[in-house]
Amino acid sequence: MEERTPVLEMRDIVKVYPDGTKALKGVTIKVYEGEILGLLGENGAGKTTLMKVLFGMLKPTRGKIFLRGKEVRFKSPADAIANGIGMVHQHFTLVEVFNALENIILGMEGHGIFSKIDVENARKKLQKLMDELNFQVPLDVPVENLPVGVQQRIEILKMLYRDVDILILDEPTAVLTPIEVKELFAVLRKLKERGKTIIFISHKLNEVMEITDRVTVIRKGEVVGTVKTSEATPQLLARMMVGRDVVLRIEKPPKEPGEVIFRVEDLWVKGDRGEEAVRGLTFEVRAGEIFGIAGVEGNGQSELIEAITGLRKIEKGRVYLKGVDITGKKPRELYDLGIAHIPEDRTHMGLILEMSVMENSILGMHWRKEFSRGFLLDWGRVEAHARELVEEFEISAPGTKAPVKSLSGGNQQKLIVAREVSKRPEFIIAAQPTRGVDVASTEYIRNYLVKLRNENKAVLLVSADLDEVLQLSDRMAIMYEGQFMGIVNPEEVTEEQIGLMMGGVKGEPQK
Amino acid sequence: MSLKNELRSYLKPLGESVLAILIGAFIGAVVLWLSGYDAIAAYKALIQGSFGSLGNFAETLSKSTPLILTAITFAIGARTGLFNIGAEGAVYFGAIAAVAVTQNLRNPVSGILAGLLVGALWMLPAAVLKVYRGVHEVISTIMFNWIAFYLASWLALEVYENPMNPNSTLPIPPGARLPLLVKNSTLSLGFVIALFTAVVVYILMWHTKLGYELRTSGLNSKAAEYGGINPKVAMLWSFVIGGMTAGLAGALQVMGVPPSYSISQGLANVYGYGFDGIGVSLVGRNHPLGVIFAGILFGALNAGATQMQQTGVPLEMVKVIEGIIIVAVAVPGLLDMFLKLFRRDRA
Ligand SMILES: Nc1ncnc2c1ncn2[C@@H]1O[C@H](COP(=O)(O)OP(=O)(O)OP(=O)(O)O)[C@@H](O)[C@H]1O
Ligand SMILES: [Mg+2]
Repeated sequence: MEERTPVLEMRDIVKVYPDGTKALKGVTIKVYEGEILGLLGENGAGKTTLMKVLFGMLKPTRGKIFLRGKEVRFKSPADAIANGIGMVHQHFTLVEVFNALENIILGMEGHGIFSKIDVENARKKLQKLMDELNFQVPLDVPVENLPVGVQQRIEILKMLYRDVDILILDEPTAVLTPIEVKELFAVLRKLKERGKTIIFISHKLNEVMEITDRVTVIRKGEVVGTVKTSEATPQLLARMMVGRDVVLRIEKPPKEPGEVIFRVEDLWVKGDRGEEAVRGLTFEVRAGEIFGIAGVEGNGQSELIEAITGLRKIEKGRVYLKGVDITGKKPRELYDLGIAHIPEDRTHMGLILEMSVMENSILGMHWRKEFSRGFLLDWGRVEAHARELVEEFEISAPGTKAPVKSLSGGNQQKLIVAREVSKRPEFIIAAQPTRGVDVASTEYIRNYLVKLRNENKAVLLVSADLDEVLQLSDRMAIMYEGQFMGIVNPEEVTEEQIGLMMGGVKGEPQK
Repeated sequence: MSLKNELRSYLKPLGESVLAILIGAFIGAVVLWLSGYDAIAAYKALIQGSFGSLGNFAETLSKSTPLILTAITFAIGARTGLFNIGAEGAVYFGAIAAVAVTQNLRNPVSGILAGLLVGALWMLPAAVLKVYRGVHEVISTIMFNWIAFYLASWLALEVYENPMNPNSTLPIPPGARLPLLVKNSTLSLGFVIALFTAVVVYILMWHTKLGYELRTSGLNSKAAEYGGINPKVAMLWSFVIGGMTAGLAGALQVMGVPPSYSISQGLANVYGYGFDGIGVSLVGRNHPLGVIFAGILFGALNAGATQMQQTGVPLEMVKVIEGIIIVAVAVPGLLDMFLKLFRRDRA
């Protein structure tokens, strides 16, 4: 294999960000035609940075890129695309009010300002592409009304439509359900058959094991090594990533749940388009219990969470915290009553990207006495607080005064989790708590949720990651079209039963 | 992030503003030269007229006083995610309020308080329309500025007109006038009050809970709501505080500027500061402390204009230069392009 010339080689890439962060310290990777190369590394290792350099979004401080043996230099993503390299980003870049077709042809309208857009032709070409790959998306619905899984397909189609040969996928599966992941992998295999080359980034080792041919591991801006997937094991990869053995296990001692902390009665909530998103839910979460909600995204989970955290109107029904009616209370009142909320949408809701780590570390608790001195905010104490979070959760950040947008995706997520648990809640709502987080930190966060449970707190876990729900929950519900198809014991339920319930078949009632 | 990098985060916008000013000055010179004037002589006169002597410098600072305050109005709005251009109207009413209140309460404090209060009240309708009816603040504040102009003109002419001098309102009584800082100039304690206000607003925005909530709402209203902040309340505060500083600008303009200590006909001595404040705020990067320097720069341009006029250059030329500077600052993309030309190897 090493005899062949790689289709792509990045040689000795160094990237120093303007604030002095050394994100890449001389990275060399080779990619061969028609292979799927996995790129693995902890949060902040430099994966996204490396791919942005390749895609012409960042200018490397040093280093060279060779495409089919020839040195290239991309000034912009358009340049990279013209050379057959496409990228789908960790955070999507679609225009929300446009439909799929508009998003896909956006920026390809031809060169003169007056050249006409041939929409019908584009539609035909796109339809053909979708049929060949068996990879469908609705072309005429505004993107904001589509589930994330579909949005991601649009992002991929957008690149394929531009005839790229090398496709970079930065954590494509972070937002997908297991079924969607399967479908995505089927498409990736087809693309591979057609000779496309794919660079695949993921924190999920089993996915990397399944789909890639070779894996290159990066740690702290340096390549640790490259292995053939057929010769690797998840343990080996984890060790390469972290530099020590990783225990991929959650210790969860059996525990009798206590009193009811949180209770929802016949809850009805409307979605953004006025549809009934949550339809008459009733459930409770007890002290010392993790209650999990699984299901394909877009079945009312987001609306449910927003309603019980005061961010969305409750049409009908009641919500109680420790027996007190909290229906319709504002987020601030709820936080003061001991609720914390890890939101699913970290860049739009959980963080203010332009603000510093410090400023973000007190969002939703900034009114607490401990952070003020008379009239003034006590920035000294805020900073000490931010430092604690950074240390406890091993968040890699250039500093507490750095803007949050300069943190890697996983580190942003860790900051939110750290902040929310630092509120010392009685009841914590965790939506997709480990999305985009690396293996070691995922275990840390999961163990933390279990720790809260062991300390007799109540935890509501909502996750598209079925394994996560199965692994952590004491009881779990499967949500479909705004209702629970069943509340089951994760230790007794079979994968088949869950699959049926996710598809809308009501399960046998269990205890 | 080291201290050096922290400093750099302040230096970058500063550098960009300075660059914009130089670009503005340069293009202005080219325009002067193309129009057949002696650009160097004109600039010399401009600088001489604004910084050349203590008296001239005092004039510069005096002219900057209302600009600093109206720029703060815009800056607070911008930081809260609003494009509040309603300072103009609030200035008029701040001035009227000062004239009205000091006729009986003959002390400067009452005039200042009246300016603050009435300025805030004047902003309230636009704020309420925005928050409860979703009326865009650009539309509402433009309309309110017109209402303000005619209403204030009527008040000045009919209600508070000076029977002795039909060209102005009743003057501020001597006991309520602000002391001058430099003899025979128009520079009064008002300038110090403007500086003090800028510092207070800075502290408010960056060192209090309220400021944190305003800035959060301005940057990401969804995150603000999630964080237990009501973006609507933040907007209300933004309008109210902005109205206060604009109203103060009006009050200081009549209480501190000799010889008339009154509002002249056609609102001439209180007119236009609200609009100019937008440009000052942009050059000052919508930061209350940056606005001090930008305000002094614009004050200098206005103060030096008279002297420049003596070299034959029309007064309007100064407005052209101001305009170019604003455009240069307000088009950061343009600046980024410029910077990239010089720093190709940076990210
Ligand atoms: N704009 C920026 N300015 C300064 N530093 C940055 C910037 N973007 C990223 N970094 C830093 O560069 C390093 C690498 O970040 P990168 O986003 O490439 O990580 P990653 O491997 O993709 O991590 P993740 O798995 O969390 O997405 C991190 O330490 C991060 O803080
Ligand atoms: Mg990344």
